[in-house]
Amino acid sequence: MSRSITMIEAINEALDQELARDERVFLLGEDIGLSGGVFKATANLLDKYGEDRVLDTPLAEGIIIASAIGCAMMGLRPVPEIQFTDFITPAMDQLVQQAAKLHYRSAGGFTCAFTTRICCGGGASGGLYHSQENASWFVHEPGIKVVMPSTPYDAKGLLLASIRDSSPVLFFEHKKLYRSIKGEVPEGDYTVPLGKAAVRREGSDVTIITYGSMVGVSLHAADEMAKRGVEAEVIDLRTLSPIDKDAILDSVRKTNKVLIVHEDKKTMGIGAEIAAIVTEEAFDHLDGPVMRVTGPDIPAVPFSPNLEKYFMVNPEKVVAAMEQLAAY
Amino acid sequence: MATRNQPAAAQPRSSRDAYSRELLLGLYRSMMTCRLSDEKARILFRQSKFGGNFYSNVGQEASEVGVAYSLREDDWIAPSHRDWTANIIKGAPLKLCFAQLFAKATSPDQGRSSPAHMGYPELKVITPASSIAGQLNVGTGVALGIKKLHKDSVVVAFFGDGATSIGGFHEALNFAGVHKLPIVYVCNNNLWAESVPIRLQTALKNLSDRAKAYGFPGVSLDGNDVLAVYDAASQAIVRARSGEGPTFLECKTYRWYGHSEIDPAKYRMKEEVEAWKKQDPILKFEKYLTDKKILTEELKKQVAAEITAQIDEAVTFAEDSPFPQPEDAAAHVWS
Repeated sequence: MSRSITMIEAINEALDQELARDERVFLLGEDIGLSGGVFKATANLLDKYGEDRVLDTPLAEGIIIASAIGCAMMGLRPVPEIQFTDFITPAMDQLVQQAAKLHYRSAGGFTCAFTTRICCGGGASGGLYHSQENASWFVHEPGIKVVMPSTPYDAKGLLLASIRDSSPVLFFEHKKLYRSIKGEVPEGDYTVPLGKAAVRREGSDVTIITYGSMVGVSLHAADEMAKRGVEAEVIDLRTLSPIDKDAILDSVRKTNKVLIVHEDKKTMGIGAEIAAIVTEEAFDHLDGPVMRVTGPDIPAVPFSPNLEKYFMVNPEKVVAAMEQLAAY
Repeated sequence: MATRNQPAAAQPRSSRDAYSRELLLGLYRSMMTCRLSDEKARILFRQSKFGGNFYSNVGQEASEVGVAYSLREDDWIAPSHRDWTANIIKGAPLKLCFAQLFAKATSPDQGRSSPAHMGYPELKVITPASSIAGQLNVGTGVALGIKKLHKDSVVVAFFGDGATSIGGFHEALNFAGVHKLPIVYVCNNNLWAESVPIRLQTALKNLSDRAKAYGFPGVSLDGNDVLAVYDAASQAIVRARSGEGPTFLECKTYRWYGHSEIDPAKYRMKEEVEAWKKQDPILKFEKYLTDKKILTEELKKQVAAEITAQIDEAVTFAEDSPFPQPEDAAAHVWS
């Protein structure tokens, strides 16, 4: 049985069901218990499972992640929450120096399988420090997997797959998607495999490679361009690390043109890496330059509506780039 | 003689005469193993038998052994860069400890970490990262896991005076205090954080005062008196094991050599170093044992000879071990 629900409902359901299914799983983070989370991702779970499974922590991201690492080393399956990715920096040492390297530096002697849920993304009037994405920071760190769903179905299935994965996983949730879209989600247990992209729209003229909230934006743009005779294939990466190279390259070989769309800043972003992959491994298949539509290289998403609008990628910006690319 | 991994009962400070001969000689043998292994490591480094660097713990054996000696096999150690010998005390085979220095394929991490950054998963010594105080946070996390799983293991986290200044220290101790976690924080205050003197590190006279802020006991003690450390650590471990929460131990001690083997430590006054060398924890303990008629010259020589033979054997094993293959660098990226 499935029904149409929001992404936040899908996430809450996944956590609820996994807490019930696996006693090793527990949640921890700021404001996740009594208040049920700033966005209510953990609503009602404290009442249902008690403080031993749903723990409100001190306001200290470093020890939130370190607690998860240590408990994971003991065989538990912690699911910490970082309330906003803008505040993940106090936990960088724990994520990058400890979690990402623990398994490696002990040659497999120690592991820490835990999934950190991180709220991210702009376009919601969050201002400089409640709008960042920052996922690309962690894509640069082998040893940590990075996931970002674009649909309620994937949110539940990818979250369950992440919690059951044996590596540390960073699970980015775009706040704009929490309640703005609904989708069919099975009531029961299922997983969406990590490391596998999804083709959201088939097309033969240009490949759009994107993820997270930019999937919807790209699909809008693709529909508009279809009216102008250009059929885009839209690839939703779903997992940013390890990235699904095969899905990218298969599509490029089919369409011969690549547009990468992401919300985060441009320079050294995920788009740069995808462009390198495509030119290294499918150069002969390219009929035009690999192009990018991304956030601008400014420090963060500014607050005033006009300024935020300048930062955010919208369908019009994607359409303009597609027009340019189609001309080749 | 006691095996290294067996628990020893906590003994009150007032009844020093009640220490068993077995325990006293066990502590002595353990300190000597640390001292001789560490000095051997320094020689090997000077002979260019291994590269990178080494962080000697010579001079700090009393606090290291006094704390770690009474840990059980299922207890954890979260070591710092200066605690290579913690592996030895916990019971890691000497040959693996030297293979670690030589970065051989036979070492516990198969040549990944730099020489002194050794962990030993089989006996729950956490492979350390170099970021100062990071082990306090991870160790605190393990302590939370122990509590959640209703086990009666404990965690001992070692660190230096420098680590008490960084933010992670506060996060870890605060959290452990909130949840009364089974962990003992052992600060080896050797007065110097690399080249920064303690007066520029903290305004406190006793670092254990910090424990008050976290709601658990803090004790400052002579870190060169192995029995004083043993007493305090035993009490702290019993307290942690019985669910009463963390303890902060400040062991006032001194590292004889530089921060690392490439640091001549010219920033320290000769007089200071010489004064501390007179407080040699091993000489002090030898005097105690001799006065108690437990240690004779003959036994001393015998212990040293036995340990030296074990070290020689371990060094041979390390030298004879193969290096990892280049492509092994790509293994163990994902768990």
